[in-house]
Amino acid sequence: MSYHYNEAFENPDYHFSETLEIDRGRNSQKNRFSHQNPYDSSPNGSYREHSGRGQNYPPDIPMASMRHDSEYSQSLPRVAVLSRSPYGNCQDNLSFEPEPELAYSPPSTFHPLDRPYTRRLSGASEVSFIQRRNRRSADEIFVPSCSLSKTDQVYKEEAKLIGNLVSMSARERIKAIQKMPETMKKKREIRNKVRKEITKKSGSRRSQFDCCTQCLHRMAVSYRRFRNSLSEYFHQLQLWHKTLKIIGGKFGTGVLSYFVFLKWLLTFNIFSFLINFSFIAIPQFVAAEPNNLSFTGLELITGAGYFQETILYYGFYTNATISKTENGASYNMQLAYIFTVGIYFVICLFSLVFSMTKSFRRNFINPQAYSGNASKLLCTWDFNITNEKAVKLKQKNLSTQIKEALFEVNQEVLNFSLKERVVHIVIHLASWVASLGTAVVACAGVYFLSVNNLELFMKERKNDLESQAAMLVLPIVASLLNAFIPFFYSWLGLLEKFQNPRHQIYVTITRNIILKISIVGILCYYWLNIVAASESQCWETLVGQDIYRLVLVDFIFCLLGCFFGEFVRRIIGTTVYVSLGVPEFDIARNVLDLIYAQTLTWIGIFFSPLLPGIQMISFSIVFYVKKVSLMMNCQPPRKVWRAAQMTTFFIFLLFFPSLVGVLSVIAVTVWRLKPSKECGPFRGLSSMYAAISEWIETLKNYPGSEWVVWIYQNLFQSELFFFILSTLLLIITYLYWQIIEGRKTMVKLLRKQIINEGKDKMFLLEKLRALQMAKQNLSAPRRQDQKRSSASYHSSMQPAQHMPNYLERTFDRNQNASYDEFSYSPEILEGIGLPLDAETSRPSSRTGVSEALALALRARREAEREDEDDDKDFRP
Amino acid sequence: MGNKQTIFTPEQLDAYQDCTFFTRKEILRLFYRYRDLAPQLVPLDYTDKPDVTLPYELIGSMPELKDNPFRQRIAEVFSEDGEGNMTLDDFLDMFSVLSEMAPRDLKAYYAFKIYDFNNDDYICKSDLEKTVNKLTRNELTPEEVSLACDKVIDEADLDNDGKLSLEDFQHMIIRAPDFLSTFHIRI
Repeated sequence: MSYHYNEAFENPDYHFSETLEIDRGRNSQKNRFSHQNPYDSSPNGSYREHSGRGQNYPPDIPMASMRHDSEYSQSLPRVAVLSRSPYGNCQDNLSFEPEPELAYSPPSTFHPLDRPYTRRLSGASEVSFIQRRNRRSADEIFVPSCSLSKTDQVYKEEAKLIGNLVSMSARERIKAIQKMPETMKKKREIRNKVRKEITKKSGSRRSQFDCCTQCLHRMAVSYRRFRNSLSEYFHQLQLWHKTLKIIGGKFGTGVLSYFVFLKWLLTFNIFSFLINFSFIAIPQFVAAEPNNLSFTGLELITGAGYFQETILYYGFYTNATISKTENGASYNMQLAYIFTVGIYFVICLFSLVFSMTKSFRRNFINPQAYSGNASKLLCTWDFNITNEKAVKLKQKNLSTQIKEALFEVNQEVLNFSLKERVVHIVIHLASWVASLGTAVVACAGVYFLSVNNLELFMKERKNDLESQAAMLVLPIVASLLNAFIPFFYSWLGLLEKFQNPRHQIYVTITRNIILKISIVGILCYYWLNIVAASESQCWETLVGQDIYRLVLVDFIFCLLGCFFGEFVRRIIGTTVYVSLGVPEFDIARNVLDLIYAQTLTWIGIFFSPLLPGIQMISFSIVFYVKKVSLMMNCQPPRKVWRAAQMTTFFIFLLFFPSLVGVLSVIAVTVWRLKPSKECGPFRGLSSMYAAISEWIETLKNYPGSEWVVWIYQNLFQSELFFFILSTLLLIITYLYWQIIEGRKTMVKLLRKQIINEGKDKMFLLEKLRALQMAKQNLSAPRRQDQKRSSASYHSSMQPAQHMPNYLERTFDRNQNASYDEFSYSPEILEGIGLPLDAETSRPSSRTGVSEALALALRARREAEREDEDDDKDFRP
Repeated sequence: MGNKQTIFTPEQLDAYQDCTFFTRKEILRLFYRYRDLAPQLVPLDYTDKPDVTLPYELIGSMPELKDNPFRQRIAEVFSEDGEGNMTLDDFLDMFSVLSEMAPRDLKAYYAFKIYDFNNDDYICKSDLEKTVNKLTRNELTPEEVSLACDKVIDEADLDNDGKLSLEDFQHMIIRAPDFLSTFHIRI
């Protein structure tokens, strides 16, 4: 009996929402058909009322545990419980949902003692049916008759909930209310009650601090209003909300994640541009010298010539202290430069670390490998998609995926022979060698080209067209390599014939990353070791120009890629080679391109402070171009793109090789390299960092700023401090690591426990079934006399045959349970030991049954108690 | 700013803000979306809490839901009467749960409801079959559907009762990080 209840109401927390009412509505609708029971016509008012109210007032956790008790008592031989104790009665009705098959009991087998039970069931079901039609007026229609105890209980629960909410801080409270799985009405009710409670509390206190509390309250309210309006303005700042919605609607979350990433990078660049412009460029305007170089237009591409003498590059910035009036506040350009860039990178580092950890926490909670067939089905639907064509395409893709998955399962049995395996390994090795080889060759090419280029540039020193064209060779070659080697890699990937398509994606991404990193790495080596040591007049500006050209050419290649890779490809795919089809949007390649561009920009910030501005413009153009190209040319990717995990991975990539590499490049530049003698804010210093040391020296003379000097000497320059700091960090890390290990084992144990509990349940049910069968066999002849008079009962049916059937049904019950099954429900009631009949019929076999039953119920209750503990986590 | 005051009282707006994951502006935007579905039915003045319910046919015709294979279930689950007819409260509730801000557990709870077609608080095999058919537009043969469903139950059913309870479902969701971003409708 008990698992019958529990089946539908295992989790009482969730059942007070309005959705429950749907359940009730549905079930009772079914009951309409089974209402031939003559006892249905005598509905019991008090029961009606309970089930009606029960839906509006949730049984809370403690109540749920009581419910089990009452359940327990009910199924054990204490018939009187139902009618005698109104308290247990009411509770029971709160959570008890009449099973359709139970509601119907054929008249022939009807035992006089059954009466209250059946009546109650039918009464309740009828009520819920009426309720379904007329939910709103439910409370008014059914005048409570035993409402005192019930509402008491409910109010207690609610008071407890409200008490909990009142004790929270305002913010937490709102969050908790928002999280409730409830209807709006209910949430609002709770909220209003909580507010009343709070005002009551503050009201009683008001006599003491009248003015003060009122003032505080008003301040709190206005602060909240202010915060709300502020967040609204921020929401308005959200760029491209509608565009993103359209993209999501047409192409799903995977492609959307690319655009979200692009937008995110764009905000990074806007922020950095604003900082650099306001703290470095604007002061420089004040002290700017006239620019004598002529502007021809070609500079826009090469970044040389005219731009050399503008705020675009490091070399133009002055090392002077800027001051308007003689004795007014002055602006030290050296410090401004170093601090602006430094603080920007610190902010970047923190925001990246934050978003990375947040993303990790969200998406890699459970790192264990998960084949995810279940989630493939149930979590796969992308509710973002709103376009009809996209929906159809998605459905088609899903069906092929499911087919593939089924096929894979069948294929897994096939094991490869040794020879085949060796061949596979050799192919993999060969393609890795080929891909790494290409990367090395590409790097070597870039290196020699750039060294050659530098020599050329140093020799000629003329502003003619030829040298300008020579300047463009390096960035064009780099971009060409970046654009075409990935195709080679994806071809290699196809050649390798991976079993799992996901592996292919990962391997291709890894190779692309290696290529891009090594190209950027070799360029950095060239800039720091060769350009910086060259005889050039102003090597920082040269590096800045190089980066400018790289960024610009990369941008142009991105546009060309859109045109040739997507537009021309689509035309070919739709007209010439129809079998090729419309191109898919390659998310991974596009994101990697973005990461590459962002890395270049970060390196360039130091040498060309306004580079983020240029990148900002190019990113916004890329956004629009990509959007148009996507809408016109592409179709959504066929494979499921694990957007969340891949985004995390890309943010991590942006952090690890990219930002960390850039930080080390900047660190080397600042601490190790000698700035050029004749240009830039650090001219004449031994290293850029010397600016800070000098500043500290001068600060020593000012009496008010000793603390800065103290901090500098004791924190930044002392090894001891860093030693202590890193020891502390190591200890904390170790501690957390141990905690994680502990949790891991805990998770394992809990998982085992769940599985064991399931096994226990199965075992007990098995036992129960065996006992029942034994009992049924004993009682079969006796009962068949009764059955014969029943019109609805199939006389040929042996109850024993049906028991297994019934038990199975409890596991796999579905809507279309046939009405045939109802006809043997009396046996079930009886068989499971519903006290009424059993008591009178066979006291001999009863003890065994009830023992097993008690066991089963106890196990059940244990399990449920644990469930509830788990649920508490969910409940606010 | 002026007409904002005539639609809702500030208290109403505050209440909505406390009960959903939306800002004032989004609530108003949603109100207009709701009103656009049936301008003649929905008054522009909600201060006296008019009792307006839009039938499922209108709700289901929203561009956000129109092509969603689960639209009917979504509407049923979030509507107060269980038949997909929605008041403004239900409407806001629905998009609040489907918004970006809603926590995983809340989303999982409603997703479970949506997939539980027969409302028996378990996702049993028949529910799964219905889900698969909706996901694939009946392109699979019954055998394939049944096989796929068996696999799902095998994998996600931790307590071995042959069907997925809410706990099983939530457990599964935790390991499917994409769920958060896909169970999301942008307004």
